[in-house]
Parts: sequence; C-alpha cells; structure tokens
Amino acid sequence: MPRRIQALLLVCICTGSLFAQDLEGIQIHGFATQGFLFSSNNNYLSMKSSEGSLEWTEGAVSFIDSLAQKLRVGIQLHMYQLGELGAPNIQVDWASGDYKINDSLGFRGGKVKTAIGLFNDSQDVDAIHLWILLPQAMYPIDNKSFMLSHLGGEVYGEFARGSRAGTVLYRGYAGQANLDLTGGYVKLLAEVGLVFTTPPGGKIYGGDLRWATPLKGLMVGSSAHAQAVDGTAPAGVLHISPFLVNAEYAQFEKGKLYVAGEYRRTPVNVTLTFGPALVLIPFDQRAWFVMGSYRISEQFHLGTYYSHYVVKGTDTALPGNYSRDWVVSGRYNFNSYFYAKLEGHFLHGTGLGYYVSTNPGGLKPNSNMLAAKIGFSF
Amino acid sequence: MRETRLLILLLGLISGWSAAAAQDVVVVANRGVQISQITSDDLRDIFTGVKSRFRDGSYAVPVTLKGGPAHEVFLQHHIGESPDAFRAAWRKAVFTGQGAMLRAFDSEATLLEYVAATPGAVGYVSKLSPQDSVKSLTVLRTYKTAKTNNNGH
Repeated sequence: MPRRIQALLLVCICTGSLFAQDLEGIQIHGFATQGFLFSSNNNYLSMKSSEGSLEWTEGAVSFIDSLAQKLRVGIQLHMYQLGELGAPNIQVDWASGDYKINDSLGFRGGKVKTAIGLFNDSQDVDAIHLWILLPQAMYPIDNKSFMLSHLGGEVYGEFARGSRAGTVLYRGYAGQANLDLTGGYVKLLAEVGLVFTTPPGGKIYGGDLRWATPLKGLMVGSSAHAQAVDGTAPAGVLHISPFLVNAEYAQFEKGKLYVAGEYRRTPVNVTLTFGPALVLIPFDQRAWFVMGSYRISEQFHLGTYYSHYVVKGTDTALPGNYSRDWVVSGRYNFNSYFYAKLEGHFLHGTGLGYYVSTNPGGLKPNSNMLAAKIGFSF
Repeated sequence: MRETRLLILLLGLISGWSAAAAQDVVVVANRGVQISQITSDDLRDIFTGVKSRFRDGSYAVPVTLKGGPAHEVFLQHHIGESPDAFRAAWRKAVFTGQGAMLRAFDSEATLLEYVAATPGAVGYVSKLSPQDSVKSLTVLRTYKTAKTNNNGH
C-alpha cells in the first residue's frame, strides 16, 4: 500500500476520533476503505485479481463550513489506489461554494459533482451504498474520477407541487471535465500508443430532472449532458467531438425494500491521429441495470442486480463488445462507523474493466469474481 | 375465530404503542419561530435537507440528538427512516458537497439550550424534558410523497 494512502487512512481514523464534532464551525468528515478482489479468470480493473488482490484502497476527508445562512463552502480531498490506477496523487473530489437563495434556486461554483443518473455524484461514497461495485456499465470504478465532477458551475433547486403532484428537483451545469491522468481511459489510450502528460478534456453541459411522485417511495428522473474531449500526446492526438449522454431512471422504496433501474446511451466517436494516420472508432454504447435490495435488519442488508452493456453497431457476439454482470451482495454494519461488504460477480463478456497490461495472454470470455471490502466512515 | 380476535388485539396493542411512542416526543423550536403547527411533510423535508425554510418563510435550523429513544422515535415516526438510513442520507449530502451534517447533541438538555438560543432552530425532545425555554410545535399529519434522495443503496 503506498505510503500516502497509509497516511490518508491514518488521518481519516485519527480525525474521526479527534474531530467527530464541529471544529470552530468547520465540519470534518471522512471515510476509508480497503478492498479485496479475486477472479476465476482474467485480471479485472488493472488488479492481479486472478491471484487475489488487495490493491484497492481509498480514502477521503472533507471540510465544510457554513459561512452564512445561505452560503456554504467546502472541499473534499480524495486518494485511491485501484491496481495500477490512482495513487499516489491526492485529488480534489470537489471544492465549491454553495449559495442557496431559497429552496427553488441555488448556485454552486468550483469543482462540483456531475449529476447524471441515479448514482453518479455519489459513486465515490462507498459508505452509503450496499454494493462494492456499482453497475459498471454506467458507473465504471476505473474512470470515476473523470465522471464524478467538473470544474464550473451548477444551478439547482426544487419545486414542491403539493401532495397531488409531488416534488420536482432540477440541476443544470456547465464547465470543463478532464480525464484523470491516473485513470482507466488514459491507461487504455496509453496501451494504444497515446501517452498523455497533460490530461485531455473538454467542455461539459448538462442537467438532471427528477420527480418524487405522489406515489410514496417512487422517484423517476432523466439526465443528459454533452461532453467533448480533446488532448495531445507526443505520439498523436485524441479528438472526441461533443456527444450527448442521456440517462433515464427510476427507484422505488417501500419500508426495507428498494428497487431501481436505469438506462443510458453514450454514443461516442473517437478519432485518434498518429502522424498522417487517422483512426476512427465509433462507440454507440447502450447500458442498463435493474437492482433490488432488502434490509434484513439495521445491521444486515442484502441485494442483487443485473448490469448490461453492449456496443451497438459492432459484432455483439464478440465478448469484447459486451459485458453482462449478475451480482449478489451483502453488507453488515458493525456500528455507525464500521462496515463490511461481500459481493459475488458472474461476469460475461470483456467489454469493460480489462487492460492489456494486466492480461498479456489475452482474455477468457467469462469470469466469476468475489469482492470484499471493509470500510470506516465518520 | 379465536385466533383472529387475538391477532386484532395484538395489532391494536402494537398500533397503540406506536401512537403512544410518537406522542412521547415533542417537536420544539426557538421562541422566535412564528408558526405553532408544522405538517409532517414540512418536518420531514426540513430534517432531510429538502427544505430550508418554515412555511412562513423564516429560515429553519434543524438539530438532532445523537441517539437514544427520543431520537429513534422521532426518526421512525416523523421522518420515516431508521437512524442508520438517516445518517447515510446526510453522509451522502456531505460527501457529494450538497450539504453539511446537522448539528447533533449528546443530551436533550444541551439540545434545548441550543434551540432556545438559536433563531430558527427546531429539534425534538422527550415529553418529560422541560420545555419552558422553547416553543412546542404541533405536528399535523399530511400526505407523504416519495423521498428525493438516494440514501444508502
């Protein structure tokens, strides 16, 4: 485990015991997790998972201060190691000023979380999820730092339409999103010869609209954003013209039961230029998932989901063009701060989460996996 | 027939206990708060961060207890969440940069002290705690809509 991650974990734990309460009005919170992954075939997520890997550590600390009734500022520092991805840099997850005029209108500026789908803006917060891995078709853990937030601004608010019409929440945003130099997309590009020293990126515009319906527990929503990515490496150029990602989703909660589903389309046209050679790679990615969970008790929580990913317009019989994942998951809360998770994956296809560098001998089409995680949050 | 009667009696006892538990917790606010009644929807929205103001437009400062029977009864009956789910929802708000954790108190006495001294403050205590320094709010049951946060899944 890299020393910086060890240091961050130590800070998280010490901070938890020393500053569980406000410090002169500044709230300090954090979390730390350690994961383990074992796969029957292939090495997943750049870990040597076929041998069993512990190279999966994460931690974050956030500082929040309410300067006035309407104004709040905060920052969250984040560090992770996932196989060959992540460490050693400390990243800024988000750092923003939040000015809420009233419940219908507020503004955030700085590095703000990107709202798309059910879980995008919370995908890094392991402590609040039952799942160790969220559906990778939409929330790929090896690229979460790119998808998680952007530099720019956001307008948000909600309109309560009364008991017969429910409540509508909206978020609209614009800014700049850059790839993580230690993340999965940059690693994939390096594997085809484009080694970036400055992160490729581009403008992002989008919004999210969700409706808490009059039917108790049912929420439906839709998100969309347009994103462009450009970057120059010594060996060539990456260009992705603006593409529109759209997501539709719904969730229903009743007592201890939770069910949710989401559909997303991401049509991307990637252009790679190596000197005079031009390589065009169209990716019309379609993904969806359905999930359900049940809280057996305050401590114990069980769930399952199915995640589906396919690249349309290609030979979808080839394992590299699809990924289908059946998942069974359990979580146990030891107390308010510590928890453990165990998860089984039955993964078909190799369309997501695999890298040449950790699979030099090629990939088998299917793999079963066992993931475990312990976490601490305060 | 006998089993049915026993079941009805049992259900009656359970619902009676449940209602009694809810009545054992009193929602209290700073004396400067203009309202004397609050709907269960508004109470829930204020404590889950969906709303930041009372119906009269004044700013609300919700505060909680860190634990205990009054905390559990309040969350269960007025917010509709377990303490863990409630904490998870606020953790999500904190870690996504969308909110700050509610101020929480070890004892009802310190919570009452804070509510009495802080304009807009609203909290809850057991019926047995002295409420001379604060204002008690009557909670009106209303139709509840869906949750708007994705907490804990």
